[in-house]
Amino acid sequence: MMVRHTMLFLGYELRSLLRNPVWPLFGIMQPVLYLVFFAPLLRSTVPGGDMTDVLAMFTPGSMMMIALFGSMFAGFGLINETRNGVLERLAVSQAWRPAIILGRLLKDVIVLILQAILVIGIAALMGLRIGVPEMVLVLLLMAATGLFAASLSYGLALTLRDENGMSQVVQFFAMPLTLIAGLFLPISLGPQWLQTIAKFNPLYYAVEAGRSLFRGDLSASTIPIAFGLFVVLTALTLTWSVRSLGKLAG
Amino acid sequence: MIIEARDLRKTFVVKRRRGKREEVEAVRGIDLEVEPGEVFAVLGPNGAGKTTTVRMLATFTAPTSGTARVAGFDVAKEAAKVRENIGYVSQAGGIDEIAPGIESLLLAARLSGMSRKQAQARADELLTAFSLTEIANRPAKTLSGGQKRRFAIAVGLVTAPPLIFLDEPTTGLDPQNRANLWDEVRKLREQGTSVLLTTHYLDEADALCDRLVIVDQGKIVAEGTPEGLKKEVAGDVVTLRLEGTAAARDLLASQPYIKEVHAEDGILRAYLDDGEHGLPHMLRTLEEHSLGIQSISLDRATLDDVFLKHTGRSLRDAA
Ligand SMILES: Nc1ncnc2c1ncn2[C@@H]1O[C@H](COP(=O)(O)OP(=O)(O)OP(=O)(O)O)[C@@H](O)[C@H]1O
Ligand SMILES: [Mg+2]
Repeated sequence: MMVRHTMLFLGYELRSLLRNPVWPLFGIMQPVLYLVFFAPLLRSTVPGGDMTDVLAMFTPGSMMMIALFGSMFAGFGLINETRNGVLERLAVSQAWRPAIILGRLLKDVIVLILQAILVIGIAALMGLRIGVPEMVLVLLLMAATGLFAASLSYGLALTLRDENGMSQVVQFFAMPLTLIAGLFLPISLGPQWLQTIAKFNPLYYAVEAGRSLFRGDLSASTIPIAFGLFVVLTALTLTWSVRSLGKLAG
Repeated sequence: MIIEARDLRKTFVVKRRRGKREEVEAVRGIDLEVEPGEVFAVLGPNGAGKTTTVRMLATFTAPTSGTARVAGFDVAKEAAKVRENIGYVSQAGGIDEIAPGIESLLLAARLSGMSRKQAQARADELLTAFSLTEIANRPAKTLSGGQKRRFAIAVGLVTAPPLIFLDEPTTGLDPQNRANLWDEVRKLREQGTSVLLTTHYLDEADALCDRLVIVDQGKIVAEGTPEGLKKEVAGDVVTLRLEGTAAARDLLASQPYIKEVHAEDGILRAYLDDGEHGLPHMLRTLEEHSLGIQSISLDRATLDDVFLKHTGRSLRDAA
């Protein structure tokens, strides 16, 4: 029943998506714009000015950007459903409750991976080179980041139940998290104190692991750290969001 | 008994500014007994605790204290079993606005364990029954209030449950749609489905239900059949507007053929069993004491009079 219900909700969400398939395309505009207009600028700052190196350094950052920003807003749709009675109805139906969240999470991850493939494709056209195992790992890493950010977002939505509050909270966290992750330029270029703070930011490990993978360095320690971190964090935020679903009744 | 509730209570704790907490006693000890096949109404003004009561019976809200058995199962300990046996249409409706109504219907059917084919068959059946076939594929946000409401009820009925909860099913509907919905509820009764509905319309409870409770401020103030409750007040009510309300009230209250008198804002309501014969006596008495009447009317007692008798307020004012 658990798998069946999750698949039913996933199917419902995917059909909704297919009725309006253009929205996720807007989501990848931002990273694509960065790739096209910002990467060439960076080229002049990198020793040697090799576009392949620049892209290997820059693409992981722009991918994590969609994983984080795209997914952090995933919960917005759910806020409305706390008021229009949809969640109330599902809560007293025979549905397995975690499936209500899991179905949506899986949809978010599928969209994210498709977006990521598009971004990698564009980067490849610009001269990026990456092996297949590395690429699969990069996509998995993105999926893990997205799962965490989206389930955090669902938890926030179900707890705050307020669009204004939620957008403030998301902005409040997203901006420093991305700055201190070295999204566009490696943190290692910065001063020691910045590198120390970054060690407390899970996103930093995701970006660094992504860079290692794009360089073809599969033995980097940040890769297992990033995966481990996100598995644990996702488990925590997912539990929290399912619990919040149960507390809707007040 | 398809519903059996004992001393149900719900106290919400609301957080106020600066961490102050406030307790809201939404339901303060409600007992209910609903027979299988009955249409049962919970009538009460805004904030009476109707929604909270229904939510507890439908296993959405956990009671603070008290017990309830729905379809033979305990709402707290056997919630999953209760859910298999009920349909619940919330006050908000619970239809996904972005998707076409048919999607909500099919998802609800499949979640209850039906195969794709069974779900499609059941959905078609309900679409026909509620005349929704034509608008089944339109995004729900483009539907009218009445159409959305019908979809919501169709979704609630998808498992053909023995019991359905309808929380204010006709609020916001025009008279035509209201009448149509009443017919749907009557059809459900004919099929043997038990219905518990809430409403703040007296005429709705009067027209639709076999039995009802009137709730006010979280408590039941009266219980019975619509006829029984009205009879309890008296068959007829004479409404008078006149000068010297206080004197007239005392005078009328002492008349043997008048059961009860209420005075409110210069309006007197006198309850009597046989209005046609009582009215001439009343007029004569008032004239003898030279109390000038400005207006007078004779009506059958309504559930509003029942509410007035038990709470001292008119339901129209309370709502
Ligand atoms: N989740 C909640 N948290 C705090 N207070 C609540 C909550 N739900 C209801 N209340 C309070 O409980 C009381 C009863 O509310 P309820 O919604 O049950 O009334 P109702 O009879 O359904 O009213 P209406 O006709 O307006 O729908 C109200 O005072 C309301 O403010
Ligand atoms: Mg209500």
